[in-house]
Amino acid sequence: MPRTQRRNPSTPFIVFMVMIVCLRMIAMSETVSEFNKILPETIDGWKKAGPPGLYTPETLSTYIDGGAELYLSYNFKTALSLKYKDSAENEIAVDIFDMGTSYDAFGVFAHSRETIETGFGQGSEYAAGLLTFWKDRYYVSILAYPETAAKKDVVFKLGRVIAGAIQVEGPLPPILGLLPAENLLPESVHYFHHYIWLNSFYFVSNENVLNIGSDTPAALAKYRQEGWTFFLLLVRYPDAVRAEAAAVQFRQKVLGGAAEGMRALKEGRWTGLQCHGDLVSAVFNAPDTETVRAILAKIKE
Amino acid sequence: MKSRRPISRRQFIKSASAAALFTPLLFSGQERTASLGSGKSRVILVRDPNVLDENGLPRQAVVQEMLDTGLKALTGQPDPQSAWKTLIKPADIVGIKNNRWPYLRTTAEVENAIKKRIMEVGVKETNISVDDLGVLQNPIFQKATALINARPMRSHHWSGVGSLIKNYIMFIPEPISIHPDSCADLASIWDLPVVKGKTRLNVLVMFTPQFHSFGPHSFNPKYVWKYYGLLLGFDPVAVDSTGLRIIEAIRREYFGDDRPLNPPAKHIAIADTKYHLGTADPEKIELVKIGYDTGIFV
Repeated sequence: MPRTQRRNPSTPFIVFMVMIVCLRMIAMSETVSEFNKILPETIDGWKKAGPPGLYTPETLSTYIDGGAELYLSYNFKTALSLKYKDSAENEIAVDIFDMGTSYDAFGVFAHSRETIETGFGQGSEYAAGLLTFWKDRYYVSILAYPETAAKKDVVFKLGRVIAGAIQVEGPLPPILGLLPAENLLPESVHYFHHYIWLNSFYFVSNENVLNIGSDTPAALAKYRQEGWTFFLLLVRYPDAVRAEAAAVQFRQKVLGGAAEGMRALKEGRWTGLQCHGDLVSAVFNAPDTETVRAILAKIKE
Repeated sequence: MKSRRPISRRQFIKSASAAALFTPLLFSGQERTASLGSGKSRVILVRDPNVLDENGLPRQAVVQEMLDTGLKALTGQPDPQSAWKTLIKPADIVGIKNNRWPYLRTTAEVENAIKKRIMEVGVKETNISVDDLGVLQNPIFQKATALINARPMRSHHWSGVGSLIKNYIMFIPEPISIHPDSCADLASIWDLPVVKGKTRLNVLVMFTPQFHSFGPHSFNPKYVWKYYGLLLGFDPVAVDSTGLRIIEAIRREYFGDDRPLNPPAKHIAIADTKYHLGTADPEKIELVKIGYDTGIFV
């Protein structure tokens, strides 16, 4: 007698539920609003309050007036905002930004981070009631002011839910891989493609002296060597012609046409620039010309 | 937050009186007379550590005293009532432009202190309004003959700092139109008929300035500094420039190295060099410091 397989009567239901969950995950990756379905209605006495807000590049400034331009400069796509409230009307604000790419999610996260933490997603920071992290193309902020131990616990639980719901990790901007590792302060690594952020560590110019734009990914980082702090900027252009044009402009406007592409600027600290193919590299605030040459020579082209 | 040595009330009043005594009567309160005869813009910095209570909230009485002290020093008048009479007439219609960003407001205490003195001049309460986002729809602001500009200074993700110059951004229908190049041309707003020549006093609230922005809402309590100060002046650029120096000094103190604002607050310098709204050059600013001097930074 052939052996018949006995099937658990609940198997179709389980399969169905697994499919629903999978579909939800897939859908969530399509639209940021799906996070609202993933996040619990209640958590440790806190309840979702009101309908979530959904923002686009056109409407983001209505939500974070004055702060929207930072996100727009990193090609922000959409954001979900929702609130949790407790019985005393205290509030926890959850904001999830879909930045379109992991490059820009990292960029906007790294813009204001001060430390290297890895508790959530691909990089996180917690300070006085505010948790921020990035994972894949999402930048997440969970804010609970004023901070209490209980609120911090809820913030972390919500952070784990969101980070867990993002199924994959995203790659870092390739240009970061060119930064020499020696003496690099990793928490200082910035990525951007808007000239406004050129002055992040060191004031270079009020003008866009390197023609940085949406098609020129840039990395900026701080180095510390023997007590000296200096900065390295890398900008990748679509082609060598544009790179050389930017380098020429920089040499004229910042270096005053100095020979060898180096000049002592503020307080005798040296600024230098080189252009190799489509890559322009600049060093700021170096103690001497040897330091400029040494760091430029270590760029991993 | 670093601990601060408190100053006694007697010391505070003594230094304030001295400043008022030696201040010549040179102002009418109009923007056009913002400079001293020497060509310098006068900026008054008043500090009192008692301005914040144990919860970090402003004390009304101390705020009033700081405002009065500062205005006496600014105008050279012996008492706050006569000082305000050099700025405001009873027939004036007065808009007090505040800033109500939820994490760091102008504060009701500052608004109340200003409003109280304006009413003492003889301005009807119905002819005074305090507003921020609604100024273009507010009938008092629409027909205002005088403006008082009062806001806290804070770091800002796009303009470097939220400043007195920037506080008038709500006087244009589409504030986002002034955003290109990190709000470089904010001072152009001050030339619009709705505000031009109307600003009688600028008050930069420095009780707890925010010196670094973090996260989408830009605010984190970790990055506010108990400075206990009020800056006053007729020249908004000079007051902003002084506030900016304080913010930059706090950043150096906190971060332990020279950390420029990101982006730089270039709209303040451009307000001077391009729009000639006032002076941003510390060499052309006469800074009068009154009160608590520990951790003053300027």
